[in-house]
Amino acid sequence: MKVQVYLFSLLLLLLSIQSTLAQDRILKGNIVIAETGEALAGANIKIKGKDRGVSSHKDGSFRIDAKVGEVIVVSFVGYQKKEVEVENKHFTQKLTIQLLSEVNQLEEVVVTGALGIKRASREFGGGAQVVSNEYLNQGKTVNPLSGLNSKVAGLRINTYDSKVDPQLQIVMRGSRSLNRSKNAPIYVVDGVPVPEIGRLNPNDVESITILKGANAAALYGSEGVNGAIMITTKTGSKEKGRVTFGHTTTFSQVFMLPPAQTKFGQGVNGVYSPTQYESWGPSFDGTLKPIGTALPDGTIPQITYGAPSRDNRLDLFQTGVNMQNDVSFSGGDDKSTYFFSLQNVDIKGIIPEDVSRRTNGRFNGTRSFGKLKTSYNVSYSDFSSETTPDGPWITAYQLPANIDFNSLVNWQETNSMANPLYFFTDLQKNPYHQIDAYRNSVKQKTFNGKLEFEYPIMPWLSIIERVGLYTRNAETRNTVAKFEASGRRNVNGSVTDGNENFSRVNNDLILSFQKEIGDFSTRMIVGQNLRADETKSTSVGSSNLTLPDLFNPGSRIGELTGSVGITQYRSMAAYGELTTGYKNYLFLTLTGRNEWVSVLSKENRSYFYPGVSTSFVFTDAIPALKEQSTLSFGKLFASYNRTGNVTLDPYSLNNAYSQINGFPFGNLVGFTPSSRYPNPNIQPEFVKSIEVGAQLAFFNNRLNIEGSYIYSDSRGQIFNATTSRATGYSSALVNAGRLTNNIVELTISGDIIRTKNLRWNTGFTFAHINNQVKELYEGLTSFNIFRQSYANIGQSYPSLQVSDYQRDPQGRVVINASTGEPLIASDPVHLGTMVPPYQMGINSMLKFKNFTLNAQFDWRMGGWLYSEIVPRMYTAGTDPRTAEFDRQPFIYPNSVIQNADGSYSENTSVYSKGDKAYWTKQGEVQSNTAAKSDYFKLRELNISYSIPSKILGTRRFFKEATIGFVANNLFIIRHKDNNYGDPEYLYNTTDGYISFRQVPPYRTYGFTFNIGF
Amino acid sequence: MKNILKLFLIVISVSLSGCSDFLDVNDNPNSPVSENLSLSAKLPAALVSSVNQETIQINQIGAFWGGYWGTSSEGVNLFPDMKNYNGPAIRHQRDGIPVWENAYTNILYYQLIREQAITERASFYAGIAKIMQAWHFLRLVDFYNNIPFDEGLQGTKFPTPKYETGKSVYEKSIALISEGMTDIKSSAAGSQPNADDILFKGNKVSWLKFANTIKLRALLRQSEANNSAYITTEMQKITQEGSGFLGVGESATIQPGYLLTAGKMNPFWENYYRNVQGVTTANYTDIRPTSFVIQQYQLRNDPRLAQLYVAVNGEYKGVLFGNPNAESQYNRNVTSAFKGPQENTNRAAGLFKSATQASVMLSSFESLFLQAEAAQRGWLNQSAKSLYEQAISESFVYMGVATAQLPAYFAQTNVAFNETISRIIEQKWLAINSISSIEAWNDFRRLGIPAIPNSLDAASPNDRPLRFMYPETERQTNNVEASKQGSDDMISARVWWDVN
Repeated sequence: MKVQVYLFSLLLLLLSIQSTLAQDRILKGNIVIAETGEALAGANIKIKGKDRGVSSHKDGSFRIDAKVGEVIVVSFVGYQKKEVEVENKHFTQKLTIQLLSEVNQLEEVVVTGALGIKRASREFGGGAQVVSNEYLNQGKTVNPLSGLNSKVAGLRINTYDSKVDPQLQIVMRGSRSLNRSKNAPIYVVDGVPVPEIGRLNPNDVESITILKGANAAALYGSEGVNGAIMITTKTGSKEKGRVTFGHTTTFSQVFMLPPAQTKFGQGVNGVYSPTQYESWGPSFDGTLKPIGTALPDGTIPQITYGAPSRDNRLDLFQTGVNMQNDVSFSGGDDKSTYFFSLQNVDIKGIIPEDVSRRTNGRFNGTRSFGKLKTSYNVSYSDFSSETTPDGPWITAYQLPANIDFNSLVNWQETNSMANPLYFFTDLQKNPYHQIDAYRNSVKQKTFNGKLEFEYPIMPWLSIIERVGLYTRNAETRNTVAKFEASGRRNVNGSVTDGNENFSRVNNDLILSFQKEIGDFSTRMIVGQNLRADETKSTSVGSSNLTLPDLFNPGSRIGELTGSVGITQYRSMAAYGELTTGYKNYLFLTLTGRNEWVSVLSKENRSYFYPGVSTSFVFTDAIPALKEQSTLSFGKLFASYNRTGNVTLDPYSLNNAYSQINGFPFGNLVGFTPSSRYPNPNIQPEFVKSIEVGAQLAFFNNRLNIEGSYIYSDSRGQIFNATTSRATGYSSALVNAGRLTNNIVELTISGDIIRTKNLRWNTGFTFAHINNQVKELYEGLTSFNIFRQSYANIGQSYPSLQVSDYQRDPQGRVVINASTGEPLIASDPVHLGTMVPPYQMGINSMLKFKNFTLNAQFDWRMGGWLYSEIVPRMYTAGTDPRTAEFDRQPFIYPNSVIQNADGSYSENTSVYSKGDKAYWTKQGEVQSNTAAKSDYFKLRELNISYSIPSKILGTRRFFKEATIGFVANNLFIIRHKDNNYGDPEYLYNTTDGYISFRQVPPYRTYGFTFNIGF
Repeated sequence: MKNILKLFLIVISVSLSGCSDFLDVNDNPNSPVSENLSLSAKLPAALVSSVNQETIQINQIGAFWGGYWGTSSEGVNLFPDMKNYNGPAIRHQRDGIPVWENAYTNILYYQLIREQAITERASFYAGIAKIMQAWHFLRLVDFYNNIPFDEGLQGTKFPTPKYETGKSVYEKSIALISEGMTDIKSSAAGSQPNADDILFKGNKVSWLKFANTIKLRALLRQSEANNSAYITTEMQKITQEGSGFLGVGESATIQPGYLLTAGKMNPFWENYYRNVQGVTTANYTDIRPTSFVIQQYQLRNDPRLAQLYVAVNGEYKGVLFGNPNAESQYNRNVTSAFKGPQENTNRAAGLFKSATQASVMLSSFESLFLQAEAAQRGWLNQSAKSLYEQAISESFVYMGVATAQLPAYFAQTNVAFNETISRIIEQKWLAINSISSIEAWNDFRRLGIPAIPNSLDAASPNDRPLRFMYPETERQTNNVEASKQGSDDMISARVWWDVN
């Protein structure tokens, strides 16, 4: 050890002697922006191979010690790096260096590859896309993943259950698993895999690299089979301190409520009823009618029996406000850098009293101790939300069009119909009472830290030790305020306090070798990984509290309810990656990983998976191509991976028993098994994937094209197969099924206009995913996945399969000649895939002097969706279809009667009833509430203006300032049959399902400004 | 470099092998698995699950379709699928009535008990499991006709089990009961269940009587199905076996230890009467007796009426089942609600006695009516009249009516036994009201007795519900087999024993 220290000191001494011997002269120069000719301040100027460096001044000028033959390297964020060899003349005449702004220059794009090691894109044998901080944040989304929506070819993002804490479903390059919750990519923050990144401050993101193929799995683990979203957070740089402050306020407004009829009001069978809520009464006549029952003062409330022109339901929703403030400090010196940021997000939802707040802090730092480089990142997020569960808007979908929501706000008033004691019906609740009485609160604290040591043992060998800790503590409290009344009006007070602690420790120990031998370069990584996840959740509650505003199980009657769940998941892995390059234009990478997981039986828990990829920069390899300027860069790449994965939750190998139905009754226990058929012999599943593609840049990188074809084949999947209940079980855990994906991806971007003052850049991403179910379980041809979604052999997964009418060969509906009711076909019909196979994104960036306009369009085609809101609206008589024939008997349009001989003749005489019973049955016919989910939307719009330096003043207290307008979901074009909602906005991870449980969609718009000091 | 690599690999392999315990964390720390649990920890849960399905889900269907229940005008839109015989809505995966799903789940509970009992040579448990499986299979046939039997309940061995005819399932179920009885008889002394048998506390004779009563019910069910040779043989077996049926004072009831706390009360009470805080439930608010059932009690000056319902202004007033109009004469406040202790000066009423009252699996009076019918048909060599009167007496006792009133009651011409099947069924119908209501719908399908008025919301006046459609879950997972069974239309397809 001592010997080593001496050796190092000696080496350092030698180096320092060498530098003092050199004869330097002062070189003066100037940095300007190539496109505009403006001076560029703060650019980094270094001598290649030396530690020396300076920054350019405000006027772009710099002075540096240099000598002839050395190379000056100039770099600045957002600009292409430039190298200039020092000649004699540079000491006499001033050197002007022009920097080109970074225009997706393919050959220079750096992707964050294996284990956070940055690699030139040219080496990369798989699909990768880098999204910069600016592009990510142009819509100022709170969740960083929302900011990726429609920006990456092949990455599909759906929002679900977005109250004040938007949740997302993310699927890269189609579904590989029939287990619908296991198609998400792996998230890696600064080299450490973490379970989720929704709580990350998007402003902290330096860039996101999306590795689309399974290549990432070899280095991060099996979840990488679905691709990897690799986030690099910001670090400080060796400049003087920099402070930025940003603020954004946006306003949210509900839109796309399912339409409601405005012809008929409350009642039964065409007769007005003051105490019924369903809209089966007579047609609106504008008169005053009594509603509900007598109030304490003896009066009976009156209501205008007519619908206003404005949709009354909109009054239930408020304008949401979303405020984000963030501040960051960064800087550094020769040995260390730091980045510190704080963000606060306050959201007021579109449902009254829905609020959330998130406060984030991050500290990233690096420090060198001699050759030992250390880096440490710590981030902490404190999130809290207060929401009401799904009651109020479900009520609103079902109340008649004449109910004035504003009159229901003050439910505490004793002499009002708004009071739950006197609400006009006891079959629905006053939505404002629901909002106040039913509350869910969440307090979540997320901590994520990383510590990394890198030590170069030899010039060609370094050792990296990286340990990551991710913890999340969530405290939940769901309360219902007791409201004492008789019968249905009674609300039992209840409270459930929950606590969930999750922690993950992830450790990687890596050896990294790097050597160049002649024309060959090699790099090898060998590593070992340990991961331990632990979750403990506790819940305690009571469903019968005695006091309306004291939410503690201590003041209950009856027994305490509660449960505890502990789960542990652990894995170990050994892995390696070997990259060999030839003349920096031909590369071959081999990967392999062996994984051991705790969730499988001892016999099955070890599995190995290999991969190979190659890339070839032919524009560098072929001399003829080097000379011409049309094709500035060209690369071909290909990869093959066979990736193992275990999507099993812990303790799934046995059937767990639990006590339900009131057990235990005193000393009497009673255990029942779960309804899933267990399978102790589950094995890892494997996905084979092949990718070939090309990256091309034309006209001096003005036009960039990347295209690829991907084939993936997943077999022996671990999933819960829905089984006939006659098997005794509702599902069975199996290794079965085969899914293939044939995918074409295309990304085009280019500058249409590029002049000194005006630049117009557009990009287009396209993906076509042809997903096919090839095999299922035990010779089955069809599997139910979730309600109307199926996996059917020969079709895309998931398929929408719904009940439909009996139809004649021409597709006309067959009517029962005696009752007039349309007949329902015994077999369901298959409509199509629930995932749009065509997914496109268009972005446009227009920059004119100090103005920038960014627009992001999202376009998906070819899928189907199903709404489960609408059947309820049929039953409640609020759906417009129920009023189509004025509630009178009618001849079903384009219908037929089946004749005795089996032929069909047009129905001209049999009337369908058109009453509640009739329409309720039509609501059950699921083809009535399915539609194509095609859409085209302006997802993000950002118009910003950077304030010119002369306005900022000569003292330049502010170094930079921009103000802007941001908006999301400004407009959407949907398929004409889709009245149900936003097809991007779905229930849970259901792919194509719209539920009444979701808050309706909303659009946002607002302003933003950023200041730099 | 090679040496370093080697060293590194050694370090890795040492750490991996040293950590093999590291991965041994897959034993469930939260829930027991089957191997940890004795039969006595499983049987009570299965029996409670069975009686819950009987007294809530199945009883409710029977109460609407067997002529007992309707709703107040305020509740006009409640139970719409029951009222307008909306088959597709009833079979719906989420909003439907999952009789199929719950019954097969219960049968699975017994299947697992049965398998464990066979391994552990606990034949009493095996016997109970078989008898209870048969109970549910018979119920399933009554709802769905053809159903899986042999290929059912075997997990992934038969992921799409084949259906068998309702008739065959009936025969196999009766045979299964016989097997179960043999198992119980052959069980060694001391191996019987004790407190965990919440039905009979391990009493062999009670189990055998219960088993015979289920058989008798299944045989009577096919009285019209032209199957007399089979019936005769099976009746002989019952007679030869000799244990007899559940008789006076021998109701099969379950009281696992109900407590006055949410989720642990008698479920019938908690669903149809009052919650733990004494607040009336939603069902109590809007479920009302039909005018027809009130009229039937009144025609017989039946003292049970006053125990069952609350009088409004001194009158008993019922509703019309499926009335599509919200007429004010059928409003909540002018129609008779169920009577419970709170409406009965804190004394037990006809149906509602206390929050911890036992749940009825099979009542002595139903058993006695079954025996009376069998005697009347000449299947049993006993006095039908005596059984009939015992049955009514048992019903009076259950509903809290003094048996002193019986002689006057029997003296009425429309009550006195007249040696007809219809007289027996009429009285059975009055006795099992809201207790085993499903048998009212079953008897109506079998015999058309009594003349229950149709739902006013039926698509046409002659449409009656004859069965359930196969559930959506089955259409989603086993459609090929389900489709082979032909039409499952609710108002035209009949179950096998329903021939009229």
